[in-house]
Amino acid sequence: MKKILFILMSLAILSACERKIDEFKASANGLDLSNFVSVGNSLTAGYADGALYLSGQQNSIPNIMATQFKTVGGGEFRQPLIGTEEGVGFQPVPGGLYCYTKRVLYFTDDLDCAGVPVVPETKSFKPGFVSNPEQSTLIQQLYAPPTVAGPYNNMGVPGATVQTLFYPGYGSSLGNPYFARFATSPLATIMHDAVVQQPSFFYLWIGNNDVLASALAGTDALLTSLPVFTQFYTMAVDSLLASGKNPKGIVANIPDVTSIPFFTTISQKLPWNGVLLDSAQAAGLNQLYSLYGHSDIKWKKGQNPFVYTKTDGTWAQMHAGDLFLLTMPTDSVKCKGMGIADQSIQPIPRPYPIPGKFVLDGAEQANIKARLDEFNTVIYNVAASRNLAFADMNTYLRKFASGMVFDGIKMNTSFISGGLFSTDGVHLNPRGNCVTANFFIQAINTKYGSSIPQASVTNYTGLVFP
Amino acid sequence: MRRFTTLLLFLCLAATTSFGGGYQVGLHSVRNTGMGLIGTSLSYDASSLFFNPGGAAFVNEKWSFSGGVSLIFARGTFQAKDVNYQATLKHELNTPFYFYAAFKPTKNLSVGIAVNAPYGNRLAWKDDAGENWQGRYLIKDISFKAITYQPTVSYKFKEIFGVGVGLVYATGTVDMNKSISAQGVTGDGSVNIKGNTSNFGFNAGIMVHPDKGWSLGLDYRSKIEMKVKGADANFTVAPSLSGNFPANNKVDVMLPLPANLDFGASYEFGKNKQWMVGLNLCYVFWSTYDSLVFDFETKTAAVSRTATPALYTDQMIVRVGAQYKISKAIIIRAGGYYDPSPVKNDYLNPQTPSLTEVGVTCGLSVNPFKGFSIDAAFLYLMGAKRDGTYSPENFAGTYRTGFSIPGIGLSYSF
Repeated sequence: MKKILFILMSLAILSACERKIDEFKASANGLDLSNFVSVGNSLTAGYADGALYLSGQQNSIPNIMATQFKTVGGGEFRQPLIGTEEGVGFQPVPGGLYCYTKRVLYFTDDLDCAGVPVVPETKSFKPGFVSNPEQSTLIQQLYAPPTVAGPYNNMGVPGATVQTLFYPGYGSSLGNPYFARFATSPLATIMHDAVVQQPSFFYLWIGNNDVLASALAGTDALLTSLPVFTQFYTMAVDSLLASGKNPKGIVANIPDVTSIPFFTTISQKLPWNGVLLDSAQAAGLNQLYSLYGHSDIKWKKGQNPFVYTKTDGTWAQMHAGDLFLLTMPTDSVKCKGMGIADQSIQPIPRPYPIPGKFVLDGAEQANIKARLDEFNTVIYNVAASRNLAFADMNTYLRKFASGMVFDGIKMNTSFISGGLFSTDGVHLNPRGNCVTANFFIQAINTKYGSSIPQASVTNYTGLVFP
Repeated sequence: MRRFTTLLLFLCLAATTSFGGGYQVGLHSVRNTGMGLIGTSLSYDASSLFFNPGGAAFVNEKWSFSGGVSLIFARGTFQAKDVNYQATLKHELNTPFYFYAAFKPTKNLSVGIAVNAPYGNRLAWKDDAGENWQGRYLIKDISFKAITYQPTVSYKFKEIFGVGVGLVYATGTVDMNKSISAQGVTGDGSVNIKGNTSNFGFNAGIMVHPDKGWSLGLDYRSKIEMKVKGADANFTVAPSLSGNFPANNKVDVMLPLPANLDFGASYEFGKNKQWMVGLNLCYVFWSTYDSLVFDFETKTAAVSRTATPALYTDQMIVRVGAQYKISKAIIIRAGGYYDPSPVKNDYLNPQTPSLTEVGVTCGLSVNPFKGFSIDAAFLYLMGAKRDGTYSPENFAGTYRTGFSIPGIGLSYSF
């Protein structure tokens, strides 16, 4: 019996050898990816969580793509890495910049208007700065040269528009600090620094800020005009094509900016007509608004729309579909009467419209949407006439509104719980960057007949919960 | 008897794995394994209690015992679709066992008990970096096994017609781990689900010996609903998410063990009936496995009642086998079978990577003295390959598995 057992065991071990499957057969199909240069804005620079920081850059869309390109002859992909994980974000203020670190999620007590935790205790996720260094420290980090030497394959500059790709001085101390930190000279343009690298393959995802920057400011007044967009977009593509090595490339259109959490989150919680009044309160407000010369704004018993300031400075009542921005101080609504009347001013309160920068109203959205569609037509036509690969990011990101799933990871466009966006509600988190990079790779494979492997989404982190 | 006791003690530590179709295991007698897993029309030993209670009364000896174990050496590889990534099924030795005892108080009546493991699934995935493989949000590892205890009566009318029925008491255990994609500072969350259950079913069959040498059998084993009530569901997540994923939750898990309808035909011929050839058609009512349902006791926004779609389809397993008696002391066997996967291409889940398999078998029995038989068998699955996606989780790739299954058993009748 022992003998039989021995024979059987040997037989089993011999035959139970590894069952192999052929590995993914990567092929460039003649595509030269040895010098891959990416031109874009914050979405391609690896900016996330309201700042430019090290691991954000390491998880940038083009860097994920470049990592996959390495299986088919892709070369080194140098990025202008910032030295800190805390990172730097900034806002222009009179006389300079106000800087801050990246934001992370905190899980803290909800407070009432007096700043005391509400009873019964509830907690919620609130994005907040990871630390609070001195302004001078942050400024120094912002302008410090990258930790690796150039030239930089990732020419993504947060804030860049189609026009600023060609601004001399955009890389100077008077320009954009995010470019000044790695421009080859203060007068070099982004496009110049990209073109001199003579890419063998380029990636251009630009134009978002030509609509987004205006939308983020709660207005349609800052949109790039169509002729300017057409001129500079065409110039950008043609400059890259004429850079010397006869490159191939991929371009992408602009996603619908109003579907991102930055514009949808507050409006889901705070209705546009969330002012509930009894008849005495309504009468009082009508009196008050008349006093201030706004008898056109009528309050009534029951639900009333908030009042806000339009871009032209006039006051108006909100309408269904108007969007509150993520920057909106909802505490001021709850505690100070923003959108109604400022109760802190006594004995007679003052009308308190919501500042226009916190509201993107229906007309503004329609104008932005119309301009976006025009820009996207330009992008599509330029891609088609230059025979470039094209990624329809607008359609793709729209699919996330109803939810997508990758290897068991569910993602949608909800803020925080959606798992796609970072804590700033505008930029993607690493998992979001990975699925986007894979979408670009698919578009390249479709156009050029290559078989570039996609990245595994499960290797990238989503939002980190405390 | 002491040998059997020792064997049983060893087997108590055993576990099982699935291969071929779904999570059903076909290794219930080493003799039958040697000839393509056929058995519905056979009545050579006490294993008839399981294969076809209608045949048990045809076993001639007053007492008959049979026990054995199979050693499943499983290998599997996964290649992700469109991604340069492979993972392997962790090599774990799985050992489904069986034990049957039958007693004949009269010439035509047989009573007995069958203990075996007809359903089970045990696997663990890993890649070069460890357990955090690409499918970890679907499954990291799972161990599910059902052991059935089947007291049985069998009666034959003359030497022509036999009928039998057994009450099946099934016990099941489940233990599974997977990762949760909501991450904290230390990475993924995770959940372990662990519980056990039991339920009843039945096994009934008839056997007919219409003519010299011929035997026909028909057997039906009922479906058994395995509902694990109040299994432990232990979530490990970032502290801020503990409200959504309560740490010590309970969960009801529902998994059906499908019914089987088996038809078998065999024919003995040659000098001293030296030869036997047989065929089995086994219809498995897999469509009962619609989804794997998890119903959590403490319901939150993140955990409630979830049904993981399986959408299995009914399948027919075709088995053929033969045996040849070289002498009174030595019998050799061979066979093969075709086991189609009940899983649709867009529901192929790494939790049960069920592939259509073709198996070839061979076997040997040595009878050192009358009534005592040492049985050995070897089952080799050819190594199937299949592309599939588990579409509810968008998990796609190519699976390949291979199995080598030696088995050893003892039978004693007197």
